Amino acid sequence: MSEHQIHLRINGLSWSGAVEARQSLADFLRERAGCTGVHLGCEHGVCGACTVVVDGRAVRSCLMLAVQAGGSEVVTAEGLAAPDGTLHPVQQALLEEHGLQCGFCTPGIVTTLAALTAPGRTPSEEELLAALSGNLCRCTGYQGIRRAVRRLARAVREVAS
Amino acid sequence: MKREPLQAAAVVAERPQAPVAPARTARYVGRRVPRKEDPRLLTGHGRYVDDVVVPGMFHVAFARSPVARGRIRRLETRPAREVEGVQAVFTQADLDRFPTTLVSFFFQPPDVPITPLARDRVVYAGEPVALVVATSRAVAEDAASLVEIEIDEEPPVVTLEDARHGPPVHPEKPDNINAELGDEEPDPELAAILDSAPLRLRHRVVHQRICQSPMETRGIVACPEGRDELTLYVTCQSPHLVARWVATALHLPETAVRVIAKDVGGGFGLKNHPWKEEVAVILAARLLGRPLKWIEDRYENLTTANQAREQEMTLDLAFDAEGRLLGAFGDYHLNVGAHPQLSECNVAVHMFLWPAYHLPRYGFISRGWYTNTVGYAAYRGPWAMESLIRETALDRAARRLGLDPVEIRRRNLVRRSELPVTTCLGMPVDDISPAECLERLLEYLDVAAFRREQEEARRAGRYLGLGIATYVEPTGAAGEMPVMTGELAQLRVDPTGQVVATLSTHSQGHGTATTMAQLIAEHLGARYEEVVVFEGDSSRGGFSPGAAGSRQAVVAGGAVILAAERLADRIRRIAAHLLGGEPNQVVLEEGRARLGERSLSFAEIAQVAYGEPKRLPPGMEPGLEVQHRYQPPPVTFSSAANACVVEVDTATGFVRILRWIVAEDCGVEINPAVVEGQVAGGLAQSIGMALLEEVVFDERGNVTTPTYKDYLLPTIFDVPEIEFLHVGIPSKAVGGMRGVGEGGAIIGTPTLVNAIADALAPFGELPVELPLTPPKLLAFIEGRSYAPRRRVAGDAASPGAAGEPAPVPARAEGGRRPGGGAARRGGRRLGHGDRHPHGGPADDRPLRDGRGTAFGLARKSRGAGRVRRRRRGKPVALRPGRGKARQDDPEVRPPGGGRRDLGQGQTGPARPGAGDRAAPVRATPDSAPARASARSAP
Amino acid sequence: MKPVPFDYYAPRTVEEAARLLAEAAGGAAVLAGGQTLLPLLNLRMSQPLVLVDITRIPELKGIREAEGGLWVGAATTQNELLESPLTARLLPALARAVRHVGHHATRNRGTVGGSIALGEPAAELPATAVALGAEVETYSPRGRRRIPAREFYLAPYATVLEGDELVTGIRFPPWPAEHRPLFAELARRPGDFALVGVVGALAVAEGRVERAGLAWFAMGPTPVVARRAETLLQGAALADWDPAAVVEAALADTAPFDDHHASGEYRRAVGGRLLARALEEALGRREAA
Repeated sequence: MSEHQIHLRINGLSWSGAVEARQSLADFLRERAGCTGVHLGCEHGVCGACTVVVDGRAVRSCLMLAVQAGGSEVVTAEGLAAPDGTLHPVQQALLEEHGLQCGFCTPGIVTTLAALTAPGRTPSEEELLAALSGNLCRCTGYQGIRRAVRRLARAVREVAS
Repeated sequence: MKREPLQAAAVVAERPQAPVAPARTARYVGRRVPRKEDPRLLTGHGRYVDDVVVPGMFHVAFARSPVARGRIRRLETRPAREVEGVQAVFTQADLDRFPTTLVSFFFQPPDVPITPLARDRVVYAGEPVALVVATSRAVAEDAASLVEIEIDEEPPVVTLEDARHGPPVHPEKPDNINAELGDEEPDPELAAILDSAPLRLRHRVVHQRICQSPMETRGIVACPEGRDELTLYVTCQSPHLVARWVATALHLPETAVRVIAKDVGGGFGLKNHPWKEEVAVILAARLLGRPLKWIEDRYENLTTANQAREQEMTLDLAFDAEGRLLGAFGDYHLNVGAHPQLSECNVAVHMFLWPAYHLPRYGFISRGWYTNTVGYAAYRGPWAMESLIRETALDRAARRLGLDPVEIRRRNLVRRSELPVTTCLGMPVDDISPAECLERLLEYLDVAAFRREQEEARRAGRYLGLGIATYVEPTGAAGEMPVMTGELAQLRVDPTGQVVATLSTHSQGHGTATTMAQLIAEHLGARYEEVVVFEGDSSRGGFSPGAAGSRQAVVAGGAVILAAERLADRIRRIAAHLLGGEPNQVVLEEGRARLGERSLSFAEIAQVAYGEPKRLPPGMEPGLEVQHRYQPPPVTFSSAANACVVEVDTATGFVRILRWIVAEDCGVEINPAVVEGQVAGGLAQSIGMALLEEVVFDERGNVTTPTYKDYLLPTIFDVPEIEFLHVGIPSKAVGGMRGVGEGGAIIGTPTLVNAIADALAPFGELPVELPLTPPKLLAFIEGRSYAPRRRVAGDAASPGAAGEPAPVPARAEGGRRPGGGAARRGGRRLGHGDRHPHGGPADDRPLRDGRGTAFGLARKSRGAGRVRRRRRGKPVALRPGRGKARQDDPEVRPPGGGRRDLGQGQTGPARPGAGDRAAPVRATPDSAPARASARSAP
Repeated sequence: MKPVPFDYYAPRTVEEAARLLAEAAGGAAVLAGGQTLLPLLNLRMSQPLVLVDITRIPELKGIREAEGGLWVGAATTQNELLESPLTARLLPALARAVRHVGHHATRNRGTVGGSIALGEPAAELPATAVALGAEVETYSPRGRRRIPAREFYLAPYATVLEGDELVTGIRFPPWPAEHRPLFAELARRPGDFALVGVVGALAVAEGRVERAGLAWFAMGPTPVVARRAETLLQGAALADWDPAAVVEAALADTAPFDDHHASGEYRRAVGGRLLARALEEALGRREAA
C-alpha cells in the first residue's frame, strides 16, 4: 500500500505528514488531526454526519481519501466558533432553536449549513432544506433544525439586502 | 444535626417542609432555556465512545457467520493471525475460559445458552464467530476476512410462519416458542360476547422488523486494569445498569467495574445493555491484558445489532350498535430471533391495550417465537402494538358503523371524572387524561371543516385523509420490577458557590444536564448558569436504569427536587444562623440567601460550611452536601391525542403529510423545547415505521437492507412541521412530571395509518401491513394483491412478483467503476466474493444486476436445503406471568392472579389468525444441505 | 468498514492515467469523485490493487459551449454542472436532472464523468446523456474515441469502455433554443435512486415535434431509450397527437426490474403516468400560452 506526504490546513492550522492511501479523510481527521467532531455514521455517504468543508464546499469526509485532501483547506465543526468561544451563526441558530439532541449528526449539519451560508452566498430556505436532505437525524424529528434553517435563510437575506 | 437518610422510605410524605417564605414564581421550570450540552456538541467537542483513545489500545473486528443456520465444520484462524499487525485471533474456545451468562435487562439468564462467539452452531447470519485484534481497525478487517469458516448450512427458520412449522432453531428445544402467556381461545363468557355482538370485527396488523438505528452505532473501549479493575467506555443508556450487567453477566463481583459514557449518539432501546460483541471484546481484553476498542460499523449495525418490532396481531373485537366496546380477544406473535436480549412474548401489549378505554372483557394469547435471525431487543415503546392495533381497529369499526373516528373514541374513552378505574386485566388506573387531550385537540382542529375539504378534494380526484389516535403510556415505572428502581440525586454547593449535581441520569440526547439543572435552580434558588450536572459515570451516584421506560423526568426529576429542597433547608438554617433570624424567613434566590435587607451568597455560605464549621449552627455537620433517593409512584401515565392530515397520490401511492397536531399531557414540563424534541423525535420514528423503514430478509436469512440506501430513515422532507398543544395536568409524582420519551414512537404510527386509511376509504379497508410503501398502497388502490416477497437475490423474477415478470436483465460481468476504470471482480482480492469481510454472507454476483440493492448488497441464494414441514400437535403449556411480567422472571404469575390451564393437545394452526396467511413460497431444492464456505480463496 | 490496501496514483495527464490502468491489468479502479467508489471500497465490495485518481488532470475539467452544444469535462463535479449558467441555458433538462443526483454534499465531489462511466441503471445522468444524444469522449493508448451514449451501455455497470480506457468528457449536441425539456423522477426520499424516471427533450417548430429524445432510468438494466415513442413523436402535430399511444410505445421499450423498493410492475405503471404528466407539461405548455 502506498503512503503519501500531504500538506493541508485544518481549521486554520497547517498539517504535514504521511498518510496511507486507504485512509479516509474522516479517519485522518479523527485519528491524526484530533478532529473527533467528525463523526462516522455510516461510511457510505448517506447519513452526512462526517460532512466537513473542503475548499469552501461541504463534502462527505468518509467518501474522500486523506491523500486527496492534500493542498486543501479543511474546516470541521471544531473550526467554526470564534477563538473567544462565540458560536458561528449556524451553531447559534441551532442552539437557540433546540436543533440537536444526541449531537452525533450535529457537526455534519453545522458544516453543511456553514458552507452554504458562507459570506457572499444567499441560499433560500428551500435550498438549505434540500441540502439537509442528505443529513440524517434520528433524534429531533428535524423540528429545531428546520426552525434554525428558516432563521439562517432570513439572516442571509437581510445581510444581502 | 442528624445525618441525612441515605434512602427515603416513603415518597411524598417525607418531603422536607416547604419554606414558609413567600412563594416564588417559577423562573426556570417551564422555560425553553438553551441546553447546557449544546455548545460542546455544536463545536465538535462531544465525547462519544469512538473519541476515546487509551494508550496501548488495539482494535477489534469480527469474523461473522455467512449463513443463518448450520454447524461449524471447520474454523481456521491461522491465515488471519499471520497478517502483519494482528495481535490475536480469538474464538469461543478461547473465551470459554471465562464463564459468561448473557442476562436480560431484568438480569435473568437466557432461555437457551448464549455464548459471545458461536461455538458449534450458528443461528443467524452475521453471528460473530471469531474476534481479531490488530493495530488498527483496517488491519483487523483485513485479517477478519481471512478467517476460514466452513459451515454445513441448514435451511433457516426466518419468518413467524417458518417458526410455527419449521424445525427448532435450538435443537435442545422441542419447538420454536421462546415465551408464551395467555389462553389459546376466548373463555366461554368472552366467546359469547363476541358471538352475539352487533358488530364483530377481526382486525389484523402486521408490523415489520425495525432497526433502532441510533446515529452512533454500538461500541466499546474495554480497559482491563490489572486483575481487580475494569474500566469500560460503552455507548449505552445507563452506565450504572451496564456496570451491574457486566458484573452479573461475567460473574465479576470482586472486580471493580467502572462504566463511563459521556456522550451517546442515541440509544432507543438498542443500548439498554451490552450484548455479544461487547462481551467478547471485554473478555478478549482480559485475555490480552490490553485495552481494546470495537466500534460497530453501519453494515454491522443494520445486519447484526439486535432488532425490534417484527410482530403480528389479530384483535377479535365486539361492539354494540352504538360503537361501544363489549369485549376483545388478542392473538399476538413476536419474532424474537435466535438470541433475544430477553425472553419475551410482550405481555405489555395486552396490559396497555385498554387502560384508556372502557372494555369489559379481554382475553389473549401471546407468543414469542425463535427464528434464525438476529435477536430481539427493545425499541422505543416496545409494547406500541397496543396503540397501533386498537386505534386502527377503532377507525375501522367507526367506518363500519358510519361514525366519525372522534365519536367512537368519545363513546369509549375513560374520562378523568370517571377515575379511578380498574382495567379488565385488573390494573388500577387513577390518573390519565386521553379524553381531555382529545378534546383539547378538537378545540384546535376543525374536523367538520376538514371533512368538507376532504369531500371537495375527492370530487377533484385528490385523496385527503385525517387520522386521529389517543393513548396512554406508562412512564417512570419504579418498584415493581427489580431493575426499574428509584433514582439517587447527590447535590452540593461547592466552596466556589457552584451548585454541583452528581446524577445517575443519562442522556442519549435527552438533555438531562439541562432539565435537571432547571429543576435544581428552581428548587434551590440557584442561578441556572451556576448549576452543573455530572452524569455518565457509574463510579458516581447510585444505581439507576438510566434512560429506559420514559422515566428520567419523573424519577430523577423528583429526586433532584427533593435533594434541592433538603439542601435549601440546610442553606436557610446556616444563613439564618449567620445573619440572625429564623430559617423560614430566609429566601433563596439567584444564588443568594436573603434575610430582610441582608444577604449572603451561596459561596459565602459554602466557605463557612466547609472552612469554618465552628460558625455553623450548633450540631450541624460541615459541608453543603445532600443526597436523596426518590421512589416515585409505581407508574405515572402520560396521555396524548394526535391528529394528522395526509394526501395520498393515487397515481403513485406516495403519501404526503400535510399537518400533524399533538395534544400531549406530560404533566409539568420542565423545558417545553425538550419535551417537544422528544415527542417529535418519536413521531419521526413512527413515520419511519409507517412508511419507510423495514429490515428485509431473503429466504436464507440474510438481511438484504444492510446500508442506509436500503434501510430508509426519515429525512427532513419526510417529517412535517408539528403543531404542539400542551395539556399539562400535574402528575402525582414529586414535581408533577410525566414521562415523554417513548410516546411519539407509539402514537405516531396509528395516527398516520389512520389518516392513510381514511384517505383511501373509498377504495375499501386498507390492510395494516407496515410499512405502507408506495407500491403497497398503489396495489391496494388498484385492487391488486400485493405480495411482499422474501426476495432471493440472484433469483430473477421470483414467484410472488405480482403481474407479468419483467425480462431478466442481462448479467453484468466485470462492471465498470466511475471514470471508466476496470476494477473488476477476479482481481487479487476478489476471490472470496464481494463480501463484507468481517460480516455478512458471501456472494458471487456482480455488484448490481439491475435488481440489487443500492450498493449491490443483495445476496444470492445458494443451496438452501430442503425444508421439512411438519404439523405439530404439541401441547401448549402456559408459562406463568403477572401483570407487567416479563417472561424471564421466574416469579411471575398470570395477569389477574389466577392460574389457567390450556387444553392439551391443541395444535398451533387452529388458532384464530394463524390461517390468515398463506404458506410462503419456498425454494426446496432436492439437495442435501449445502455447505457454505466463507473461506477466502487460496 | 475500511477499504483493503491499495496503491494510489494521481496522474496529471490522460496518457499517464491510461498507462497506469494498462499496467494494473484489470486490478485498477478509476477514482473520480468517489461518491460511488468510496462506499464500495469502504464496504469492501470493491477491492482494487490500484486507484487512479483522475481529478487532478486539468484536461478533464470544465464546462464549455462547443459545436453549438455543451461539452462537460469528465472530472467536472455535478454541482459545477448544476451551477453553470450554460447548463440551464442550453440544456434545461440536464440542469433538472443533475439537481436530483445524490445530495448537495455528494454533488460537490461526484463527477459527471464518473456517473456516466458507472452506468447505474437508476441514475439520472446516463439517461440524460442517452436521451439528449450525447457522445462520450474517451482516451486509451489506442487513441481517442467519441462513443454515442446510446451505444455506450451494455448492462448494469457495464459499458463498452476498455480496461485502459478513460472517459474524458461528455459532448451534448445542440438543441434549439426553444426546445422543451422533459424530466420526471420518483424516488422514495430526496437523493435516493429513482424508483422510476424519464428524461428528454422535444424540439418543436411550426406546431410539430421536429426532434425527440427520450430515455428512461430505473426501467431496465441500462438507461432505456424510448425509441418507439421517439418515432411516434417525431413529426407529431401538437394539436393532434396521442399521449396514450406515446406512453404505451415508451413503455414497450422498458424492462423494469424488481427490488425491495418496488416491483417492475410498479415501475411500469407509475412510469407511464410520470411520462404522461411530463409530456403534457412539455407539450401542453406552449399550446396553452
